[in-house]
Amino acid sequence: MAKQDSKQNANPSGIIPTLQNVVSTVNLGCTLNLKSIALKARNAEYNPKRFAAVVMRIREPKTTALIFASGKMVCTGAKSEEQSKTAARKYARIVQKFKPQVQFMDFKVQNIVGSCDVKFTIRLEALQCFHSAFCRYDPETFPGLIYRMKHNKIVLLIFVSGKIVITGAKTKEQINAAFEQIYPVLVEFKKVVKY
Amino acid sequence: MADSYCPDCKRSTEVVFDHSAGDTVCSECGLVLEAHSIDETSEWRTFANESADNDPVRVGGPSNPLLADGGLSTVVISRPSGTNSDSLPSSSLGRWQSRSSNPDRSLILAFRTIATMADRLGLVATIKDRANEIYKKVEDLKSIKGRNQDAILAACIYIACRQEDKPRTVKEICSVANGATKKEIGRAKEFIVKQLEIEMGQSMEMGTIHAGDFLRRFCSHLGMNNQAIKAAQEAVQKSEELDIRRSPISIAAAVIYMITQLSEEKKPLRDISLATGVAEGTIKNSYKDLYPYASRLIPSFFAKEEDLKNLCSP
Repeated sequence: MAKQDSKQNANPSGIIPTLQNVVSTVNLGCTLNLKSIALKARNAEYNPKRFAAVVMRIREPKTTALIFASGKMVCTGAKSEEQSKTAARKYARIVQKFKPQVQFMDFKVQNIVGSCDVKFTIRLEALQCFHSAFCRYDPETFPGLIYRMKHNKIVLLIFVSGKIVITGAKTKEQINAAFEQIYPVLVEFKKVVKY
Repeated sequence: MADSYCPDCKRSTEVVFDHSAGDTVCSECGLVLEAHSIDETSEWRTFANESADNDPVRVGGPSNPLLADGGLSTVVISRPSGTNSDSLPSSSLGRWQSRSSNPDRSLILAFRTIATMADRLGLVATIKDRANEIYKKVEDLKSIKGRNQDAILAACIYIACRQEDKPRTVKEICSVANGATKKEIGRAKEFIVKQLEIEMGQSMEMGTIHAGDFLRRFCSHLGMNNQAIKAAQEAVQKSEELDIRRSPISIAAAVIYMITQLSEEKKPLRDISLATGVAEGTIKNSYKDLYPYASRLIPSFFAKEEDLKNLCSP
């Protein structure tokens, strides 16, 4: 079989997980006075008794940032890696208005969460029986099966309905690769309902 | 009569053991070879049927291999009803002993708590001993210091029940564990399982829970008759083939509800809720899920088609 279309071969299952959340960190390079930022900026909340960081939100891309006094910032809520970087730059631009020495150092995506639907019911118990080394399934505590892939530290939440949540990846390719790896296993444990 | 070397005769001679004096004497020259031998037979004579309470042959409790010294140490008890002047020295002795560091102190306390909880649940000694073993394995890891001790002990019992194939729901264990919430016990259980896997490799064989495991117990709590229990077990077996997305305990409760509605003595929802620990609303919703398959689930020996029509539609 010739590899004509690389896209077709890359996803034999035909399903590509959609990204739901991207968490990234960036170092603004200088210490910040959180109180003054909170007072001057719009859309910023700061409760030093509750949490030692300013929580800032922007509408486009719809994200939330935690800005710490050390100058480090965490950006969450973006739907793709590029959006996360854009949002982080916007936050840095906002802070730059109050402190011009701000830089944009060491931007790194820390976690990506993706989800998808395989559209068939899955026998979680059988999956737990055969892959007990990787699975944790306790229907009393949580209805989903927690599948931890050992070699790439990716965690998948597999539900009876066939919906899958994939997390722990640092790049989109890792998410897709993890899903491709688990798809044949899920097909193997498809629930076949008689009558 | 034995042979031993006598230093006076300078050859091996016959040696006699004198029990009354405890001497080993050479029979030819009369030299005492060994004196003050220690007699290891029993101290006192025991008579059958005398005092059935304390068997004088035994001087302590059963030896516990889990404890550091097998449970050999002696404890000074300060008498609570100390009437006479003896109370003063005994209480100071008790204080002195509790100050001395006993390496097993916390272990013994934990075992006692596990025993209390196991008694409340009515667990057999096998499960209790297994819970003790599990606790001992996790005991001295630094990571449990932060966690709730009650949650850890409750989780040990939960895991022991699972390993013996007689699972108990977390809610049941919650009811005897003072103060530990369902969430804490769940987290403690995950933690212990991870620790045990690290230490012992892949030996944590705990299968998933099924509705059938709990059915027998719930039915006997409610006092259902044997026919009903058998019908419920068959129904639960058949329900596993269906696509019902509910916790196994909720399914068990809903099946019990269906079966009792069909039989003569209908149990109210409240009783089933109390016996299983499932909320009434959840039983109703699970019943709604099961209702369409009622004819497939209920075995024919228990209820015919017409009776099924009498089943109230949710």
